[in-house]
Amino acid sequence: MKPGELLRVRVAFGALGAVPVFLAGWFAYLQVAQAGALERDGREPLPLNAQVADRYVARSEKMPAPRGAILDRNGATLAADCESYEVRARITVPRTKRDDLTLFRPWLERLADSLAIALVADPEMADRSTRYAAHRERLRRLMWRGWKVDELPLDGTWPQGHGRVVDFLVAAGIDRRMVVEALASHHKSKAYPTVFLERLHSFKRVYPERELTYGIVGHTDSYLAVVDGRERFHTYGVCGLESFAALTPNSGAVRRFLADGKHRPYFVAPVQGAPEPVRMHSTVDLELQRVCVRELATQCEQGMRGAPDDKPIWGAMALIEVATGDVVAASAWHGGGLHPKAASFTPYQSQFDPGSIVKPLVVAYALEAGAVSWSDTFDCAPNGQMYRDVIRSLGRRKPVKDDHDCGVLTPHGILINSSNIGAAMVGLQLSREQWKGYMTTYGWGQSLGLQLPHETLGGHPKRSFAPDVRPRSFRANSAISFSFGYEMTTTALQVARAYLRMLRGVEAELHLVRGVDIDGDWHRAPRPQGAGRSFRPAVRSQVLSAMRDVVSNFEGATGRTVVQRFKKQGVDLHGLVGGKTGTAFGSVRLAGGKTVTMRNASFVGLMPADDPQWLAVCVLQKQGGRARFYGSSYAAPPAVRMLLRCQELRGQDWPRREPRVGSGGQTRTGLQTPDTSGWGTSVGADDSRDTR
Amino acid sequence: MRWMIAGLLFALAVSLAIATAALRADNVCARRVLEQRYRGVWTQMVEFKRLSVQQLESVAPEELARLQWQWLRRETQRRQERLQ
Repeated sequence: MKPGELLRVRVAFGALGAVPVFLAGWFAYLQVAQAGALERDGREPLPLNAQVADRYVARSEKMPAPRGAILDRNGATLAADCESYEVRARITVPRTKRDDLTLFRPWLERLADSLAIALVADPEMADRSTRYAAHRERLRRLMWRGWKVDELPLDGTWPQGHGRVVDFLVAAGIDRRMVVEALASHHKSKAYPTVFLERLHSFKRVYPERELTYGIVGHTDSYLAVVDGRERFHTYGVCGLESFAALTPNSGAVRRFLADGKHRPYFVAPVQGAPEPVRMHSTVDLELQRVCVRELATQCEQGMRGAPDDKPIWGAMALIEVATGDVVAASAWHGGGLHPKAASFTPYQSQFDPGSIVKPLVVAYALEAGAVSWSDTFDCAPNGQMYRDVIRSLGRRKPVKDDHDCGVLTPHGILINSSNIGAAMVGLQLSREQWKGYMTTYGWGQSLGLQLPHETLGGHPKRSFAPDVRPRSFRANSAISFSFGYEMTTTALQVARAYLRMLRGVEAELHLVRGVDIDGDWHRAPRPQGAGRSFRPAVRSQVLSAMRDVVSNFEGATGRTVVQRFKKQGVDLHGLVGGKTGTAFGSVRLAGGKTVTMRNASFVGLMPADDPQWLAVCVLQKQGGRARFYGSSYAAPPAVRMLLRCQELRGQDWPRREPRVGSGGQTRTGLQTPDTSGWGTSVGADDSRDTR
Repeated sequence: MRWMIAGLLFALAVSLAIATAALRADNVCARRVLEQRYRGVWTQMVEFKRLSVQQLESVAPEELARLQWQWLRRETQRRQERLQ
């Protein structure tokens, strides 16, 4: 090798050897000298490490989790999630518009217009022109505010320090392909190269039968909350079944992707960890719910007979399956054109004085406790000797009155005639302790346990059972008032539960959820075994026989009106539907100090009358007006129609019985058994304190 | 000869580098196209879900009754116009 060649080879290999030395030095400079964090204006320092480097290339997109579906008892969808997009825009003012501000405002108008047109791109969309105008105005206002256009001069150049970028939500809940594509065409387009649109996966809650399910299924709402250090919209169930924890999504899926040189994402992995939506099976029957909503609304919209404008303030109706305690249907109606989301769900939120619908419950309790027997007779004449001795002698201020004068009645007759005097005489046989037991047995003032938010409890005033109230005063006021459903308030579903307890057992509860299907595993909603101590079969059948005869054509029967009305339609209700009507009124002091009279018409219906499988409760409340707002005229018809429809749709072919010839409620042989049930002792037995 | 081999090896290294870069670029393009298609399919799924719910709503008794009434009103109007 010549000396020149040797030199060249050494130089070449020396240069090659210098490369790794340089790289090693550069590496050391970057990893050691420059290690640590990169300072950033207004943001946290960026740590320079491998994780950050990976994060910049391999990113992941969090996808929201669906809330889950709510189904009715037959599998029909009441609420479900539909995928949709949330589109956010990040727009920078183009250089040409910054250089000449006279071009900026028209450009902004054009952009708002173009995005608004994209948002109504689907020709099948209803009210496109109205929606377009609304979107255009909204987007224009958002951009106007984002760029603080009011502070910009009309011409000249963009002021130094004035923000050039706006970031805003274009629209949420976008689920139309044509709209998505129209919006996507704006993304870094030739016409708008500085418009960057980001599509975020989201879910839209849909309710296929919305008008039927407002209160019982409920609705959701969203609010901005700081979650994991970032502001996010948090969606929660406001009321009804939507508020149940089973429907609250825990976490969503993750989709990993890489970013190319221009930060455009492309996916590298399928969606991971996507939770299967929960399917919550409710006890609601959609078809019966339809009937429930429609019948109640029809009745309320009709108003008073002869005065169609005199409508109730609110109405509530519920249908319960007796064997299970399942709430099959529940509906609310409000006057005044309130949006259902803004109104209370009356079956468990609106309270009322139950009035006479509690009488069968009082009689059943008194029979069970042995305080009265089915063959006992009571002189219910308003000026009779018994009234003077038992009621007037207590010194009650308000006299006890009946709608129509009654004579000597058995408990059966008292229920058929709905005699307040008779009910008071039965109620006076119970001691204060037994009245307390009555309250807890039927669950008055106690939560339904359905875990529904904003439930109202009602119940009796604390003073009713205050220790300093003398027994005589308790008997003169509370005991008598409780007997016919006054001095206490309740809700329609509480009434339903009370009747359910009378029919099944004192621990029977209503149910709204059958179970939850999570990832294909069925989890049955916990239900207590059995329904607790039940009323004696004799007591149950005695009270049921009386309730059967309430809905009859007997003289004085309070359900006579409804029987006659349905007779005209060819339906004989006697023996088919049992029930109890209620009519109550009371003075309510409003916030302004004004006192108004509230009238309640209520009805509890049982079908079939002798061995109920279905239980319906209907309540209407109106303010003031005429006194003839009777339960049999206004609350019974929708409840009976619902029960008949229920029989058509879901019932078995119960043997149709001929109407039984009753005694008109005057004589019935009752069964008297010794008190071995632990229901307390009656006044007549040993509680002489109460008779003082 | 040595220089020729070295030159060929260098050319091979350069062409390998170019081919690798081209393949990677092609991959990126393909992935991008695939991503677009994936998004398109997802959008169609969104549309499909919407249509399925819309169909459920459209066969609800209330909706059918509304359509029936609408049809009846139109028919009545048409007949009245014909009479006039």
